[in-house]
Amino acid sequence: MWAMIVKEFRELRRDRRTLAMMIVLPVLMLVIFGYAANFTVSKIPTVVVGPLAQVVSEHLHLPFDVVGVDPDETRSRAETQLRDNKAVVAVVTGEGPITFLMDGTQLFSVQTAETALGRMVQSARAAGETPPAFSIQILYNPKLNTSWVLVPGLAGLILVFIGTLITSLGVVRERQAGTLEQLAVMPFRPWDVIAGKIIPYLAVASFDLVVIIALGAGLFGVPFAGNVAVFALGAFLFLLVTLGLGVLISTVSQNQGQAIQLAFMIMLPQILLSGLIFPISSMHVGVRWIAYILPLSYFIEISRSVMLKATPITALWQPLGLLALLGVIVLGLAVVRFRRDLAPSSQTAIPLAEITDEAA
Amino acid sequence: MGHLAQAHSVTVRFGAVTAVDSADLAVDAGEVIGLLGANGAGKTTLLLSLLGLVRPSAGAALLFGGAPSTVSRRRVGYVPQTLGLYNDMTVEENWTFTCRAFKQRRPIPATIADAAGELVRDLPLGLQRRVAFAAAFSHDPELLVLDEPTSGVSPLSAARLWADIRAAANAGSGVLVTTHNMEEAEQCDHLVVMVEGKVVAHGDAEAVIGRRAVVEVRCADWRRAYQVLDAAGYVVQAKGTTLRVPAPRLEVERVLDDAIIEARVDVAPANLEEAFVAIVSGASPS
Amino acid sequence: MTWGLFSASVRFGGRAALDGLSLVAARSQVTVLIGGDGAGKSTALRALLGLVPLAGGDVSRPGKTEIGYVPAFGGIYPDLTVAENLAFSGRAFEIASHDLTDRSTQILERIGLDGVEHRLGGHLSGGMQRKLAVALALLHRPRLLVLDEPTTGIDPVSRAQLWRVISGEAASGTAVVVSTTYVNEAQRAHAVTLLDRGHAIVAGSPDEVIAAIPGAVGALRQSTQPSGPDPSWLRGRTWRIWAPDAHLPPEAQAIQPDFNDAVIVAELDHDVMRGR
Repeated sequence: MWAMIVKEFRELRRDRRTLAMMIVLPVLMLVIFGYAANFTVSKIPTVVVGPLAQVVSEHLHLPFDVVGVDPDETRSRAETQLRDNKAVVAVVTGEGPITFLMDGTQLFSVQTAETALGRMVQSARAAGETPPAFSIQILYNPKLNTSWVLVPGLAGLILVFIGTLITSLGVVRERQAGTLEQLAVMPFRPWDVIAGKIIPYLAVASFDLVVIIALGAGLFGVPFAGNVAVFALGAFLFLLVTLGLGVLISTVSQNQGQAIQLAFMIMLPQILLSGLIFPISSMHVGVRWIAYILPLSYFIEISRSVMLKATPITALWQPLGLLALLGVIVLGLAVVRFRRDLAPSSQTAIPLAEITDEAA
Repeated sequence: MGHLAQAHSVTVRFGAVTAVDSADLAVDAGEVIGLLGANGAGKTTLLLSLLGLVRPSAGAALLFGGAPSTVSRRRVGYVPQTLGLYNDMTVEENWTFTCRAFKQRRPIPATIADAAGELVRDLPLGLQRRVAFAAAFSHDPELLVLDEPTSGVSPLSAARLWADIRAAANAGSGVLVTTHNMEEAEQCDHLVVMVEGKVVAHGDAEAVIGRRAVVEVRCADWRRAYQVLDAAGYVVQAKGTTLRVPAPRLEVERVLDDAIIEARVDVAPANLEEAFVAIVSGASPS
Repeated sequence: MTWGLFSASVRFGGRAALDGLSLVAARSQVTVLIGGDGAGKSTALRALLGLVPLAGGDVSRPGKTEIGYVPAFGGIYPDLTVAENLAFSGRAFEIASHDLTDRSTQILERIGLDGVEHRLGGHLSGGMQRKLAVALALLHRPRLLVLDEPTTGIDPVSRAQLWRVISGEAASGTAVVVSTTYVNEAQRAHAVTLLDRGHAIVAGSPDEVIAAIPGAVGALRQSTQPSGPDPSWLRGRTWRIWAPDAHLPPEAQAIQPDFNDAVIVAELDHDVMRGR
């Protein structure tokens, strides 16, 4: 038995990928998620409109982060700000009580805002003042249903799981079946092969998405208020990035085990850092940048906005554009990496030694 | 002394598939037995039944005169096709592991000592095989069981490995080897030929070839001769520019005459490979 | 235009996988590359096909549509049927569909795979899978056929059938390059190159290789390895001994070496030159 123990340790010492996973990963995860997991929001973007805007805005302190004061704006324009993800709270002043319009898709922000308002009223009363009358109106998700906010995000998460995992095995399987080299010798270009590996899954994943949304509507009553075409565009770009990431993983993996390891390491941060559960705005700045490179973060923004708020495409050009950019980068890298795999060489001599990695 | 290992009408079934069908085999001390057959003929399964790693559905597999057990397996040195070495460890570490497992302390043998500090995965296959063999032999087994010991190695490495095997047999061990390589098969004292689970022939190489013969065709326009004979349905082998046809001389001569090809046609004894093909084609009508 | 490798060198990381190798793929000829695992056979073939870049030397080959390649293992899609595999290859090479059916049937018959068109690739035996891979490579009538260890691990009957097809291709004008570890297969070739760690240690027709043996080869009928300075190796039940200076020890009987002997002597000679 002792012989077995010694042997296992010796083998482990040389298996760097597993060692990294066992030692580095838990430390990394704890640090990152420790800083990311946060249910309270410290800064809520707020706009104030109406004749009393200036006065009211001076009384608003953190967590309300006043980003716009416009006495001339109307309530409907304020709502548009909410719809277009420019603010989470819109304060409408004018005749009658002050109205706090809140974006019901930002659950934690709304809770934080309500709590803050409650505290403000209490401290005013304690100081002997009478706080002004106000009302709170929660738009888009009046009952603050968690499922309404979660389903659009879960749709994306499921696609990340399936999409990345499935395509990550694609090139590896060819490598292991010995067909990869044959493809290289056939009249195919690297792009033909990669497109061939993505397009069928694009179709299947799109179908999956429709099923998930339908189930969400049927079981949880999640509305679909916005433009289907905009949603489709967002989904298409998102899938391109996700599937492309899968293909990229398979071009850097020598066998299925490695591919799955890598796929999981890429999926894990997306669960906790993409705004699915913890709002991105409440993440510590040091880890918030990770959210900005995850495709899922952008898809969640797009799907929540379109499904719950009917946000138009003009307000979503940023996440859509960034997804498109990520897509170009990921697919571009996959093609480059794949071309190296196939390594077509010129027919003439290459005078200088070209050091390549050990081919599979 | 009885046989070191013996199969007595061993049949092994996996569900609906009969991998081994009533096979007989015996290995004695000091001899090299070759189990010859295609992949899937049942050689490895028969081997595993002798080691007790697979249970026969019928018949008896005996190891040192009794049912195979953990105790009797300690007297066997086994090298599977995949070598059974740890690629991430050095030759020395692999050796230490094996010695510890068999509770012995042996110095690393001279044949592989030069590579002691190298990782197994960095060695050429021929050397890896020698390491695996040395490890199997480290505890002085009375029986050596080797599955495809020289597949994929260079001719010189194969010869060296066979020298090791022969030395082990000379020292008193019995050796059971499986192979589908006809060249190797000639090295064995006794051959057992398997086709689709059944033993179809046994004896030394000469006995297995028997009186089978082929015709050798030598002519200037060998290419046309090849095409003509091929078109006539014969399985022609080209050895350089000499063609070998497993068919009666008169037939071949007639075919060549009809095509107006002048050639010298001689009868020659079949080699082991041609004999094997004839046996296999005869055994399974297709 | 001659196809082949000309003083080709390939490096992987720090080591030289091929070192100044020249290999000509002549039409109507079967050129065989022999050597053990790690000798560089696969690398040489892949360099010929352009799958690995050269660190030095030259390579020449026809266009992709005129090359047929059978890799060392696999090369077929296990989840597709035989017919679907052929259809994929046909589509890739843009063979017209009516031509494809005719050609497929013709090849399957010739290679011994008729009757299994609808069986999944993964459900074929090893020998049949290899035959399918060869069929896929022949579909588009390539002028250069490259096979990497096509017969390793294959049953002798399938092996014979494969060689029949290979010889047949050469006979009809194709340039065929085959790598193998089986020395007796190399005897079928017109030209043979023996590789060891990236170097060609001997090349030529089998007869030329035998004639090129320096010194003399003898046989000894004894049970233990001969002592003495001359290298010896076991062949069947006798020991062969090689005297580089042609002076065999008195107890050895001089013999006419065959191809197997020639290959081993070449390896030994190479070892000696490298100071091993």
